[in-house]
Amino acid sequence: MTIRKSLVLALGSLALAACQSATDSSEQAANTNGADTSAASTSFTVDVSYHTLDNGLRVVLSEDHTVPTATVAVYYGVGFRNEPRGRTGFAHLFEHLMFQGSRNLPHGAFDTLIYGSGGVNNGSTRYDFTNYFEVVPSNALEAIIWAEADRMGQPNLDESQLDNQREVVRNEVFVNVINQPYGGWIWIDLPMVANENWHNAHNFYGDLTDLDAASLEDAQAFFDQFYAPNNAVIVVAGDIDKDETLGWIEQYFSYIEAGDPLPEIDTSEPRQEEEKFDYIEDNLANQPALAVGYHMPERGTPEYYAMILIDQLLVQGDDSRLTQSLVSEEGYASGVFGGINLLGNAFNYSGPMLWTVGLIHDSEFTVSEVMGTMDTTIEGIRTTPVTEAELERARTKLLSDFYGTVDTSTRFGLVDLLASFAMFDDDPSRINRITEGFEQVTPELVMSTAQEYLRPTNRTVLEVRLAGDDSQ
Amino acid sequence: MTVKLFSAALAATSLIAAPSVAQINEQPALGEPVSFTVPDNRSFTLDNGLEVTFIQYGLAPTTQISLRVRAGNIDDGSQTYISDLTASMMEEGSNGRTAEDIATEIASMGGELGVGVGWHSTNFGVNVLSQYAPDAMGIVADVVMRPNFDEAEFDRVRQNMVRDVSVSRAQPGPIATEAYRRLLFGGGHPYGNSLPTEEQVRGYELADVQAFYDGNFGAGRTRLYVAGRFDEAAMEAAIREAFSDWASGSADALTPAAPRGGPVVQFIDRPGAPQSTLRVGFPAVGVDHPDAPDLAVMNALLGGSFTSRLTRNLREDKGYTYSPGSGVTWGMGGGYWTFNADVNTEVTGAALMETFGEITRLSENAPDAVEADGIRTWMSGIFILQNASTGGIIGQLNFRDLYDLPDDYLENYVPSLNAVTNDDISRVASTYLDLDNVVLVVVGDLAVIEEQVRALPELANARFILPAPTDAEH
Repeated sequence: MTIRKSLVLALGSLALAACQSATDSSEQAANTNGADTSAASTSFTVDVSYHTLDNGLRVVLSEDHTVPTATVAVYYGVGFRNEPRGRTGFAHLFEHLMFQGSRNLPHGAFDTLIYGSGGVNNGSTRYDFTNYFEVVPSNALEAIIWAEADRMGQPNLDESQLDNQREVVRNEVFVNVINQPYGGWIWIDLPMVANENWHNAHNFYGDLTDLDAASLEDAQAFFDQFYAPNNAVIVVAGDIDKDETLGWIEQYFSYIEAGDPLPEIDTSEPRQEEEKFDYIEDNLANQPALAVGYHMPERGTPEYYAMILIDQLLVQGDDSRLTQSLVSEEGYASGVFGGINLLGNAFNYSGPMLWTVGLIHDSEFTVSEVMGTMDTTIEGIRTTPVTEAELERARTKLLSDFYGTVDTSTRFGLVDLLASFAMFDDDPSRINRITEGFEQVTPELVMSTAQEYLRPTNRTVLEVRLAGDDSQ
Repeated sequence: MTVKLFSAALAATSLIAAPSVAQINEQPALGEPVSFTVPDNRSFTLDNGLEVTFIQYGLAPTTQISLRVRAGNIDDGSQTYISDLTASMMEEGSNGRTAEDIATEIASMGGELGVGVGWHSTNFGVNVLSQYAPDAMGIVADVVMRPNFDEAEFDRVRQNMVRDVSVSRAQPGPIATEAYRRLLFGGGHPYGNSLPTEEQVRGYELADVQAFYDGNFGAGRTRLYVAGRFDEAAMEAAIREAFSDWASGSADALTPAAPRGGPVVQFIDRPGAPQSTLRVGFPAVGVDHPDAPDLAVMNALLGGSFTSRLTRNLREDKGYTYSPGSGVTWGMGGGYWTFNADVNTEVTGAALMETFGEITRLSENAPDAVEADGIRTWMSGIFILQNASTGGIIGQLNFRDLYDLPDDYLENYVPSLNAVTNDDISRVASTYLDLDNVVLVVVGDLAVIEEQVRALPELANARFILPAPTDAEH
């Protein structure tokens, strides 16, 4: 239970479990009112209210009293895409620093307040945001709002804490990547090969030399630039009174002054025209592995919604086509895994993104054999219209995933969607219209989307080879 | 295209203006603690012994079905993971359906069949849109009662297990756990065999799977939990129709095994590893023992929460590790307490010294009221979360049922924590976390760490187990 402040929060078990469990959050979308669920009782609406304080802080509130807890999440609009050159991994290192104390909560006091009131907390760093979240019994809500304001307004950025957390992060990279077979292959290495723009193509966990070089001055500058209320969203959900909660947020956050306008960063990727191949040697692995990444359509376009359904058709669930062909028919692997945005889901990013498929396969099968089967399966989507029944099944899986995401004890999945729709779309109520894009997707759109985005020339193939194996 | 991120920020070195409202510097008081009640549930038993529990819970119109047969690794005998292989074959089709048929049908209901094997049971779960839940129950019944066990699928499924075992043995965590469990339980009980060898798996035949199924599956060893928003009458009818003609099967043994202590240290070499993977443990009692709540509170305070002493010391003070943690593992016949960490290679000895120091400190001195109250409050709070989902409440009820704990175990859980005194916390640390009894596994770069570990005075009397010598050394 103590894994926290992790870059790989959702991914920890994915790479090696080699399965796509229902709890994997890499896909979550669906229809709360959709025509695909005929029974009248099968929808529910998320309560949403949305406000903006004078200093620019966006506030999303969602009330439901089924569990006597409140979930608080603060999302800052800075992720590893924004971090400065020469400071790879800095967004994540800085995330750690935000737990190390603020004016009224010296080192350790923040955690003590949350745990001591009966809650848990965590944070994570992703492409386009860094988030901090906690769930507490609802009697502690006001104190938690106060505490989040204290670290937004008056953090203690301290040299000794920086040194300490630098060591913690170094150990985090060791335990998740360097001392693990298949440690960073599909979620760190693949984007570095597939992307051209440095903002999308650097080591998000950080080169260890860059982590060593990070200074307190860097931290202060980063904070001043990015950790301002006008670059943040706070979500409070659960057993709350919305008016009272909004009053507390105004009371404790309003004094914090808005920051300067954010720098504009070009994160765009050129259209890929040639298939890319690369490999890494993994000294710890004892079976080869293969990852394939395709550039996604732009978020919010009709093709993007089609691609979310294609993800369901091809790789999500035991019924998916790649699971059937690669695992059940050919027996290359115990499972195939992947999705849109392996560090999150199809909604919580803004910018270029990969759709990824990976598998660990036996040495006796060559890469060209595995790729041959994958190509045949993917060509099926590109050349033959899917049936309405299969498309409907994909929508049903999305709906069920959506319910699974928003109906959990911690409400972390719910607040993540609300925060993402506020931050990237300025419209958290989109959570109740999440199906609209999927309803427009036709078999023809699936095929035309696959024609453009599942082109072999739009993809990158990254092999994991065993140390000393130059046979391929 | 690069934008200079620092240009504006470098000038802004002045501190944020002092807040104008004194109130923002004063922590608001916590309100009255909230209470939580276990969700309503009702149970009934079919004539063949199958026990059913319904729990209405959740917001969304979904239903979780969890069927648990007491046929797990504890029943493996000498065929480690034969229960897992049996479960994998049960996923391959039933009653004429292929695996693909099952996957497609359940996906159309919004779900996916999940099958998992634990120490004590094989678990079949699906989570579907509620209107399909009775139909999903029919498929689950077929999967459990009428597996195809098709020879054509067997080689592939067995090879999947060979591959998965191979991948596990490349990871330091499973390697450490395998050695640790062998030290605690020996090789004569399934608790002591956490991984089979690849060769062992290659030797399993479909007849072994069939025999395991025939000997261990039946209604009398099965509990079925249904949680969510569902029509209970329709569900009960579906269950009675699907399961009533299932044979009770043979009774299960649940052979107990008491863990044994040390002092013993096992080294496993991982040349060049940047971290050492540690398992530090001691035998303890079972969950039905009067000391169980005391052990749980002691664990949370010592290493089982983010604010615990070991996390504060090793991570937040020293920076030795990222994700340290401890826990009590309950089993049939006894339990054990374990501290896990992956620590920087260079500080392996220092990290163990701090770990032993914290154990000794807690054993000798009761924690103060502020610290202990904080831990009890934390445990009471997360108990709400542990129960507050369909999967969570199923897990809690199943734990109670598996260990045959009192019906009001969950209702009494928080009061039992609050009855643990500060002196009790220290008492159970002293009783069970006896360093003369420590079981320690270290997976790391022995060239760097072996001497550091051997030099620890707490291990002066320990038996050291080194990697088996290579043939050349004989």
